[in-house]
Amino acid sequence: MSSATYSPAASGTQPATPVFAAEGEAALFNRWQGHADTAAREALVSRYMPLARSLARRYGRSSEPFEDLLQVASLGLLKAIDRFDASRGFPFRAFAVPTILGEMRRYFRDSGWAVHVPRSVQERALKVRGAQEGLTNQAGRAPTVGQIAQFLELDTEEVIDALQAIQSYETVSLDAQAPGAEEDGASYGDSLGEEDGRYELVELGATVASVMSHLPERERRILHMRFVEDLTQSEIAERIGVSQMQVSRLLRRSLEQLRTLTGGAAEGS
Amino acid sequence: MAENPNVCLSLESRPENVLIVRQVLSGVAEAAGINALELNDISTAVSEACNNVVQHAYGDAHGPMEVELYLQPGTLCAIVRDHGAGIRPLIDGAGEEGAVGIGLPLILALATRVEFVDPPGGGLEVHLEFKVTAEHTLTVPAGSIPAWSRHSTSDLADGTVRLDIAPAEIVRAVMGRVVCALAARAAFSTDGIAHAQELADSLAAHTANPPGTGHLRVGIIPAPGARALEMRVGPLRSGAELGDLEHVLSRLAEDYSVTRDGPSEVLAVRLTETR
Repeated sequence: MSSATYSPAASGTQPATPVFAAEGEAALFNRWQGHADTAAREALVSRYMPLARSLARRYGRSSEPFEDLLQVASLGLLKAIDRFDASRGFPFRAFAVPTILGEMRRYFRDSGWAVHVPRSVQERALKVRGAQEGLTNQAGRAPTVGQIAQFLELDTEEVIDALQAIQSYETVSLDAQAPGAEEDGASYGDSLGEEDGRYELVELGATVASVMSHLPERERRILHMRFVEDLTQSEIAERIGVSQMQVSRLLRRSLEQLRTLTGGAAEGS
Repeated sequence: MAENPNVCLSLESRPENVLIVRQVLSGVAEAAGINALELNDISTAVSEACNNVVQHAYGDAHGPMEVELYLQPGTLCAIVRDHGAGIRPLIDGAGEEGAVGIGLPLILALATRVEFVDPPGGGLEVHLEFKVTAEHTLTVPAGSIPAWSRHSTSDLADGTVRLDIAPAEIVRAVMGRVVCALAARAAFSTDGIAHAQELADSLAAHTANPPGTGHLRVGIIPAPGARALEMRVGPLRSGAELGDLEHVLSRLAEDYSVTRDGPSEVLAVRLTETR
């Protein structure tokens, strides 16, 4: 249905995406919205998670880390699934795209993303500079952008942006204190070492949003503060009134739970 | 829409060239003081329009892709033009799971106004308008028409990227980014890229005409096989010596020459990695 709207002529030259029979989809919406059938919602989420992921990747090109934005896009998808009115006969995709984008834009606006960008660019610049030095020492000559990209698993554009930043920030030491981190004296260099399981989240990927609801309220809040609001562990500790060590433990435990839950979900389906 | 764009960019409709378009947008945003959020919206939507040209305008072949940018108070307009198949289904992302049909809704969600124009010479123009809160107004002098990119769309197949840029305030940011990206494409090492950027800076400083004197024309050809970058930049600042630029050129360039092009002088530079 959605492909018929946008690609009448091209369907001959390109395989149309596997479109699910429209009534099948409408039935799923009906089962979820009308009868709170969570299995139907799960089915819709897994169908459209690639859409959310694709939008996050396109919109969040310069956003780091990507998985935070993917979380937000997943949230947008859940909202779209809740609010979509299947009876109006429009394809879900046409409703979901602006809803998911709206969620990501709000997130960027509210989280002060415009302020964080220079920081994430600087962090990446630091990694690129490190790789540049390391690879130069190894090979006896400066690496190409492609070699750095491969080494750091970035795309070439990210490396180019980082080189740009290195040039323009040449006078600013990357070891200077990160803005907002004065209290605990964290520098850009420090924050690179702190991974907090971000990479685990990538692996868990798409299914995270759908199992988040299984976590206790406090854990969810902590995950949100860490990965969506981009707060440091110390900042979270201050907000919820526990020690930073406890936050660290809670984060680790939540991630483990998420991994178990998503693993379980995979086995079940 | 105003007659004279701030930037007029011509390149071949290849996937890797969408990156160049984004670098140009970043440069313009930096010079105009457009914030990162707005730039992200603009960059995402314009990239989608370009992806559509890359994937659908010329079938399996490639052809010219042109992007024009107009900075006006409170607004940035972008035109993405091709000379291909004309009005066509705006689907994209073939082969990418979940992506089919994303392009158009994405553009519609991000731009404040979108228009599809069937230009007289064939092809398709997508006009995109964005609200921006720019810190600086960058006015193109009246009567300065981008003479180059807009009127010669042939010969892009060798990887040439052509730019007309005005006013002088945005030249440095735009040229620096484009040169960096193309040096990377020409398989330069990071040392070579740093040299290319240094040269681009000097060129920008030297060619920056006094406000009101029109577009700077830039042509760049990356040659990955030879690890070389060829640039043509003009007009040079009228009547001036190369001065400081000459030092930079003799230190970094493999070869350079100044030629007369009508009433103005144009600098041709060849930069190689081995230098």
